[in-house]
Amino acid sequence: MSTPAWQAEAERQRLLVEGILAPRADASSLPTRESGARALRGLQAYRVNAGASADRALAAAFPTVQQLIGAEDFEHLAQDFWRADPPTRGDLAQWGGGFAAWLGAHEQLRDWPYLTDCARLDWALHCCERSADHELNAASVARLGDTDPSQLGVVFAPGVAVVESRWPIAAIHRAHHDSGASFDEVRAAVDAQRGESAIVHRRGWKAVFTEVDAATAAWTRHLLEGCDLATAIAQAGDGFDFTAWLTRALASNWLKEIRVFAD
Amino acid sequence: MSDSPRSASPPSRGTDEGSLRAGIGLRQPPRAGIGLRQPPRAGIGLRHPHYAEVIEGKPPLGFVEVHSENFFADGGAALAVLHDARERYDVSLHGVGLGLGSAAGLDPWHLDRLASLVDRIAPVRVSDHACFSRAPRGKSAGAVHANDLLPIAFTPASLDILCANVSQVQDRLKRPLLVENLSAYLSFADDSIPEPQFFAELARRTGCAMLLDVNNLVVNALNIGEPDPVAACAAFIDALPDGIAQEIHLAGYSGSREAGDIVIDDHGSLVKPDVWRVYEHAVARFGAVPTLIEWDTDIPALDVLLGEAERANAVMRGKA
Repeated sequence: MSTPAWQAEAERQRLLVEGILAPRADASSLPTRESGARALRGLQAYRVNAGASADRALAAAFPTVQQLIGAEDFEHLAQDFWRADPPTRGDLAQWGGGFAAWLGAHEQLRDWPYLTDCARLDWALHCCERSADHELNAASVARLGDTDPSQLGVVFAPGVAVVESRWPIAAIHRAHHDSGASFDEVRAAVDAQRGESAIVHRRGWKAVFTEVDAATAAWTRHLLEGCDLATAIAQAGDGFDFTAWLTRALASNWLKEIRVFAD
Repeated sequence: MSDSPRSASPPSRGTDEGSLRAGIGLRQPPRAGIGLRQPPRAGIGLRHPHYAEVIEGKPPLGFVEVHSENFFADGGAALAVLHDARERYDVSLHGVGLGLGSAAGLDPWHLDRLASLVDRIAPVRVSDHACFSRAPRGKSAGAVHANDLLPIAFTPASLDILCANVSQVQDRLKRPLLVENLSAYLSFADDSIPEPQFFAELARRTGCAMLLDVNNLVVNALNIGEPDPVAACAAFIDALPDGIAQEIHLAGYSGSREAGDIVIDDHGSLVKPDVWRVYEHAVARFGAVPTLIEWDTDIPALDVLLGEAERANAVMRGKA
């Protein structure tokens, strides 16, 4: 239904949301009963709520980035991101998928080029922790012994992701979350521009990552993208040890099942 | 013990004056031979700091209530905790994100997630707010979600929108919804329907019930400068139809008119004395209704919440 009265309500609501998202508080154009300073205080209450929600949601999803930037600056960035790319869903845990790229394009953050990839790792962990619970279809692993690899694919556990970086994202993460991890090591790795890759997965309820070499990351990414086993093996080259990878994948709960494409 | 049926009937849609109270679950008098029904016990909002203590200690509560959106994930620890809680208590799902008054309509994704959660948890009640959350940004952009409870106008068009959205939710969930009155920091110059009448009409047209937030009533009364806020809230309650309130929320607020600022419904302190007084009036008006102690910021020790819940129980027993 879309009557003029309905459209007028829609416009009223649009104006209030615009007022909340605007860079500066200005209640003068809102059709409120309150006016002047009282209207501004009312609008400001919603703007403060929005800012607090932005900070709380992004701090929960990007704890490493928050520590790297510092809580106060992170809060400002969260509020800027809220205005630039506001949520479209009513579950704030869903909001933040564009934050890493937004950080990467931020002029004032150019001196910290690893922030974007740290954010990608944070986001992958955040999503993994909320992903569906699963059990390995153990019987499906037997297909590896009786089926042409070109007909096989790997179905990963929900939430499993590969994050590849030309920065030491694993070391940076450990330094900010694991007691005893060395910041000196991180500084040296950043100075050397040591690239690191991680596979994100669940250990029980908790999302964790396993640091892997570049070949393992690329192999896993190919499979995640739906590549069949024969093609993935050919791309990986002779040096890649599939058996070792499979053992690790099964032990670390990366897999859901081995799928026969013809099924 | 459940304080209301676990599986509710589809909402009735009254279309004439004769069906004014047909769909809001009026309590039937106790039948002879089965004894008087015990009054409902108060519940608390189940929040993260208390998960383990509540699950393991199982304190005597009528129910626990959670924010639906916090359990929209496909899996993970929080959902497992909610299943554990459900094995021990009646669970009420209280939404903060449907945006029932949104002229932009409901987000189908949100409704799908809520329906899935309702199927999983079999909640004793499902509720959300008489607010809007979704609106387009710019003239042609898609809807953004403000993730806040934004005030709707009390106009016929706004009521039409709210009724359409509430009906859509009820049709999908196949159960009545409880809709909560808002604390609002802004109101609209062309509001034309008194809020109690607005809720009465909403219930009549959709068959929904009301979640009466007493703290919100007091916050609004303070913010509009009512000379006697408690009396104003009591008048609001008296103007509601019999039986419309199927749950009551109690919480703390911050700020005061004397400080020259607005009062904020922050759910971060003990229930204030004026809110208790209005609650007593609401219980006198509606009888004992499942009552929730809401505490969302600066969450205290569990015993503090249990103490507040026990005080609500005393009011419901008539021994306050």
